[in-house]
Amino acid sequence: MTRKQWRKQAAGCPAMFIDIDYAQVKKYNQNAYGDYFSSKRVPGRVIAVLSDGLGSGIKANILSCMTAIMLLKFIDAGADIKKACEIIMNSLPVCKVRKISYATFSALDCRDDGETHIVEEGNPQFIWIRDGQVLETMPQIVPSETFSKRKMQLYDLKLMDGDRLVFCSDGVTQSGLGSPELRLGLRRDGLIDFVLKKIAVKPDISSRELSKTVVNFAQNTEIDRKAQDDISAVSIYCREPRKSIVFTGPPYHNGQDGKYAALFKEFTGKKAVCGGTTSNILARELNTPVNIKVSFTSGSLPPPMEMEGADLVTEGILTLTRALEYLESPEVVVNEDAAGQLVRFFLESDCIDFWVGAKLNQAHYDPSLPVEIEIRKNVIKKISKLLEEKYIKKVSLQYI
Amino acid sequence: MKQIELKICLGTSCYVMGSSHLHELVDMVPSRFGDIVNVVGHNCLGQCSKNLEAGGPPYVQVDDEIIPDASIEKVLQYLEIKLK
Repeated sequence: MTRKQWRKQAAGCPAMFIDIDYAQVKKYNQNAYGDYFSSKRVPGRVIAVLSDGLGSGIKANILSCMTAIMLLKFIDAGADIKKACEIIMNSLPVCKVRKISYATFSALDCRDDGETHIVEEGNPQFIWIRDGQVLETMPQIVPSETFSKRKMQLYDLKLMDGDRLVFCSDGVTQSGLGSPELRLGLRRDGLIDFVLKKIAVKPDISSRELSKTVVNFAQNTEIDRKAQDDISAVSIYCREPRKSIVFTGPPYHNGQDGKYAALFKEFTGKKAVCGGTTSNILARELNTPVNIKVSFTSGSLPPPMEMEGADLVTEGILTLTRALEYLESPEVVVNEDAAGQLVRFFLESDCIDFWVGAKLNQAHYDPSLPVEIEIRKNVIKKISKLLEEKYIKKVSLQYI
Repeated sequence: MKQIELKICLGTSCYVMGSSHLHELVDMVPSRFGDIVNVVGHNCLGQCSKNLEAGGPPYVQVDDEIIPDASIEKVLQYLEIKLK
């Protein structure tokens, strides 16, 4: 592989990254969410569904969960989003008591090049923001064949770098309903106002933070902060990807050390090194010393180190194994130890490229060592799978 | 007198074999020998991959000399003899 090819592959990221996240609040006094959000990142695109189940509590939870997951699987399996939504719309039953459909949904299919298809059935219309302005688009309306009152809206957009989309359930637009200030609730205009102001204050706000603030705002709008309906917000932000590399393990051929060290130096994103020997190799090749920041930490991991040109330098397998544990836990605990810093490094990146040295450390195969010492490749494989599936990152692995 | 540098290896093998306990030396050595010995943690010293016959990890390096199978007592004893 030539250097140019390598750089292209290492850059392996599309020009645009789709940052997607959501936040929810349960209806007051309920113990389950009545809205359900599900998303999946497949090569080249992101698909997502937000569904609002009829009523609230467990019943709504089951209805919205079924709708969202069926629809997501349907689109993921290769069905055209319009066709998939049409079939779901036509088959959603009607509640006998209320005479309306069991669940509403918004579905999204967004490609890396910005081509986006959105289908909405019953949910409030999404908001499309570019350069601090809301863009309005006319939908194509598809009526249901089986239910006379049901119809879905189809939107085809071309997103650009910096664009945002905000989806929400009716809990957001109807928050504050009946209060003296907002007799009709927040409505879409109120939400647009809030989101534009928020973006003006913090132009590069992440999707996670924006969806959280929208949900908090909606809850604060409610009388006594008691949510009258389930509140959910989904935010999408198209931006330049934050690229990073993690260099772990010495390259298989000693002779290649210099080449990889040079590539490491040239890389223009964030850089982490996991491994004592690996950092020694870089220090030798790049002629920069590695220093231990604090001599010892109170935790049970070797402390992180410092090296010019790298954002994070840690010990190898123990830190990686601990980082895997942190990533696996349901709530991300970010301790201040080296593994916690590594987890934060992962979470603050969009595209992570692992350079995994294939050389074995003979010392780790000494049977007198504790069994905690795992095989690097296995740990990295598990970490990359988690980062891809749970944390929706773009991950590539290269064995060097 | 020239200051002695005492490096405690914090590489993977050494760490799991007990160098994590050697951090007590950071307080212990100055109280016993004064400022003449400077105790620091160090990135993998690379001993584990070559020096298996002489003794295993954890390793401590005092100036140019390597102490294998280091323990607090062993290191203190070594310094005792060296500084006599």
